[in-house]
Amino acid sequence: MSAPHAPVETGREQEQAEQARPSVVRRLGLQRFAILIVFAAMVAAFGADIPATFLSIGNLSNILGGQAVLFILVMAVILPTIMGDFVDLSLGSSLGLSAMTLAVLNVQHGTNVVLACLAGIGAALVVGLVNVFFVVYFDNDPFIVTLGVMTIVQGIIYIISGNNSVGIVSGHLSDWIFNNSFLQIPLEFYYGLAIFLVVWYVLSFTPVGQKALVIGQSREVARLTGVRVNRQRSWAFILAAGIAGIAGIAYAGTNGTVDPTAGSSLILPAYAAVFLGATAIKPGRINALGALIAVYFLAAGTAGLELLGTANYIQQIFYGAALVAAVTIPKANRDRILKKKRSA
Amino acid sequence: MTEQASAPPAPQAPPAVELRDISKDFGSNRALDHVNLSIGQGEVVGLVGQNGSGKSTLVKILSGVHVPEPGGRLFVSGEEVALPLAPGQASEIGLSFVYQNLALAPGLTVLENLTFGQRIAGGMRSWAPINWLGEHRRAAAVLDRYDVRLNLDQRTGELAPVDQARLAIVRAAEDLRRYRTRSGYKHSVLVLDEPTVFLPEEDVEHLFDVIRTIVADGAGVLFISHDLVAIRSITDRVVVLRDGRVVADVPAGGYDEQALVDHIVGTPARPAGSSAAEEARPVETALAPKEPAGAGRAPKQGENVVVEHLAYERLADLSFEIGAGEILGMAGLIGSGAEELPYLLFGAHQASGGTLRLGGKTLDLGGLSPQRTVRERIALVPADRQAFGLSEHLTLWENIVMLVEDEYYRGGVFHRGELVALAREAVDRFLIRPPLPHAVTATFSGGNQQKALLAKWLIARPQLLLLHEPTQGVDVGARRDIYRFVKSAAALDQTAVLWVTTDFGELAEVCDRVIVLSEGRPVTTLTGEELSDDAITAAALRQIREVR
Repeated sequence: MSAPHAPVETGREQEQAEQARPSVVRRLGLQRFAILIVFAAMVAAFGADIPATFLSIGNLSNILGGQAVLFILVMAVILPTIMGDFVDLSLGSSLGLSAMTLAVLNVQHGTNVVLACLAGIGAALVVGLVNVFFVVYFDNDPFIVTLGVMTIVQGIIYIISGNNSVGIVSGHLSDWIFNNSFLQIPLEFYYGLAIFLVVWYVLSFTPVGQKALVIGQSREVARLTGVRVNRQRSWAFILAAGIAGIAGIAYAGTNGTVDPTAGSSLILPAYAAVFLGATAIKPGRINALGALIAVYFLAAGTAGLELLGTANYIQQIFYGAALVAAVTIPKANRDRILKKKRSA
Repeated sequence: MTEQASAPPAPQAPPAVELRDISKDFGSNRALDHVNLSIGQGEVVGLVGQNGSGKSTLVKILSGVHVPEPGGRLFVSGEEVALPLAPGQASEIGLSFVYQNLALAPGLTVLENLTFGQRIAGGMRSWAPINWLGEHRRAAAVLDRYDVRLNLDQRTGELAPVDQARLAIVRAAEDLRRYRTRSGYKHSVLVLDEPTVFLPEEDVEHLFDVIRTIVADGAGVLFISHDLVAIRSITDRVVVLRDGRVVADVPAGGYDEQALVDHIVGTPARPAGSSAAEEARPVETALAPKEPAGAGRAPKQGENVVVEHLAYERLADLSFEIGAGEILGMAGLIGSGAEELPYLLFGAHQASGGTLRLGGKTLDLGGLSPQRTVRERIALVPADRQAFGLSEHLTLWENIVMLVEDEYYRGGVFHRGELVALAREAVDRFLIRPPLPHAVTATFSGGNQQKALLAKWLIARPQLLLLHEPTQGVDVGARRDIYRFVKSAAALDQTAVLWVTTDFGELAEVCDRVIVLSEGRPVTTLTGEELSDDAITAAALRQIREVR
C-alpha cells in the first residue's frame, strides 16, 4: 500500500466493513438455517399434535429408511446440476433400467444376484455415456437430450420387462438392503449416507468440487482458467448415472418387485430436494448437505401429514409449496416490500 | 411541412439535421464542447476523430442515450426539437442508426430481420395477422431498389459480413423511407457508426453503392469512421472532432490527408511521462508463500517470448518478440487484428497457424488450449470481465485463488483456511476495497473487480501476461494501481507483458515499446522518445492509407 494513501483508505475501509457486516450476518445467518428452523418447528408441531405416532422410533425408521432410494437419487441429481447442466431427466429412467435389468436377470434368467446388480449399474452407466456423447461432445442442450434419452430408456424398460412388473427379486438382496437394520434403521439408509459422505466430501472439500462450482456458475471463466470443463462435465453425467443405478438396486431391494414405471415418479421430487437444498447451508449454491436436509425435511413433512390421515395428494401440494416458498421468501426482503408500499 | 421563414439564411432547403452548441460533461470531464454540426439533405458528412474525441458521445446524444448540457439545440429540417430526446424519439424525427454490431438477429431469416422494425407497434396492431407472402414480395422489391441480392429465406448469420452490413443499412434506410412517406417530411438522416471496420476493401465498395442509393433518395448520411480512404471516397464533407471540439469542417477534396491527420491528432504538445512521480515503489505481486524462491524455478530470470508466423483471419504471418520483463503494447484501430492477439496466444481462440516460444518450449498456436497455456503460466486478463474473467456469484477469495487451489489440497485435506489467508494477503497488496474476501464478487466496484482479476493471475506468477483493455470502465485511481501492479510484475518477476487496448494514451504511458498494427500487419514500432499517444494515433491512421 502506498504510504500517502494509507490513512484515508483504512478509514474508509473500516466504515465500509462496518456497514457490510451486520447485513451479511443477518442475511446469511438467517437464510442459511431457515429450513432447519422450519424443520424443527414442523417436528415440534407434529410432535405436539400426534406424539405417540410421530415421535416414535418406528416413524423415524420409516422416514429415514423409506426415503433412502430418493436420497440416493438426489445425490445423483446433484452432480450434473452443480455443473450448470441443470436437468438430467434421464436419471429417473436410469434408476428404472438398473432395477429392471437386475430383476429380469435375477428372476427370469436366474443370474447370480451380485452379477445382476452389477449388470444393472452397468446398464445405467451406458445411459450416462449416451448423455455425455450427445450433451457434452455435440454440445446440445441437456434438457432436450435427456428428455429424449429418458423416453428411449423408458421404452427399453417396457421391452425387456414385457410391460409387466417383475418379481420377486432374491431375498438376500432384500435382506441386505431393507430387512436387516442397524440401530433399527434399514441398512439402505447407511448406503445412502455413505454415498452422501463421498459426494459431500468431493464437492465441498476438494479442488475438484471447487472447480465444479466455477463450471456451474460461469463455464467460460472456468475454461479460461484452464479447467477441463468438458471432462469434468462428462464425469458428472457418468457418475450420476452410476449412482442412479445404485438407487435402482436399492429400489428393487426395498420393493421386492420392480414396476416398469419405477424411476419416473422419483425424478421430480429429487429435483425438488436439490433446489430446495440450494436455499440452505450455502444459500444460492447447490450443495450436498442442503440436499440431505431438504430430502428429510420433505420426508418428515410427508410422514407427518400421512399420520394425520391426510390424503396422498395433500403431500404433493406440500412438496411443491415448500419448493416455491423456499426460493421466493429470501427474495422478498424488507427493502423491496417497503419500496412497493411507498410507491403504492 | 413547409419551409419556415425563421430558418437560417439558407437559399435552398434547411439542413436535415442541425446541432448547435452541444456540450456534454461527464463529471469534471468535458466530452463535448460547443459542437456545431449540420447534415444537409442528400449529403454525406464524414465524422472523424481519435478514440475519446467525442464521436460516440455525439451519436448517443442524437439517439437519446445521453442528455446534453443545457444550451444545446437541435433543429430538424429547420424546426427546433427539444433536447434531450426521449428514448425512441430519434426514429420519430427521422433519424436512424446503424452501429458497428449491426443489431441483426443471426438466427432469424433475412426477411424477418428486414421486417422486424414494423412489428414493434403495440396495442391491437400487434395482433394483426402477418401476410408472409405479401411481405416476401414487398421485401424483394425493397432489396431490388437498393440493388442488393440476398436470399430472403436464408438465416442472417450465414450471410457474409458485407451482406449483413448491407442488410442492416437497407433496413435502416427503409425505416427512413417509411418515415418520410408517413410524415410527409422530406428530411431524414442515417447515422452509420464504423460500418466498414470488419470489411475487406473490395466489399466496402458494395456498401457504398447502397449508401449512394440512399442519398439519391434524399436522405442525409452521417458517416463515422477511422478509415480515411473510405471517408475520402464516400463523403461530401468531413468534420474532425478533437477533445470534444470541432477543429475542422472541410469539403471533400478541399484537404490533403496529411492535413486531416494533423487535425485529428492535433499538435504534439503533450508532455510525455507525466506520471513518473506516482511510480512510488514497486508492489510485490507474487505471493505464493508455499513456494519459497529457489524451489525449482528461479523467479528472477525470465525468458523472452517469441511469436512466429501467427496466422488468423486478417493476421497474416505476424512475428514479434516480447522481452522478459518488457511491457509490449499492441495498438491498432478496431479491426486491425490487435484485439484478437491476447486470445490467440492464450488458446482461447484457435489460430490457423504459428508458434509461441517461451521458457524453452515451443507451442503450436494452431492447437493451443487454455489448459495448456495455464500450465505454461500464461495469463489472460480479458476485456469482458463478467463473461470470461471472474465468476461473479462466487466470493472474492474463491475467484482469487482459482489458479493455485490445487496446491492446497494435501493428504486428502483441502486447506481452505490457508487459501483464504492467501486471498486476504492479495486483497491487501492489490488494494481491493472493501477488504472482505468473503463478500460476493458482484458486490465490488468495477475497478476492484479488475484488481481482483489481476490478482488471480499474478499470484500464479505468469511468464507471459496478456492484457486486453485492462482498464476499461475503471476509475482513475484503480487505473493507476493497475499500471503499477503490471509494471511491478514485469520488473520483479521478469514477466513478459502484452498490453492491447484502443486507449493509445495508456499504451504510451505504460509500455516500453508499442507495435502499431494495421490490417493485420505491423507497420511501425515506437519506443523511447518517439512513443506518444499522438504518434501511435498518427501511425495507426496513416498506415491505413499506405496499405491501401
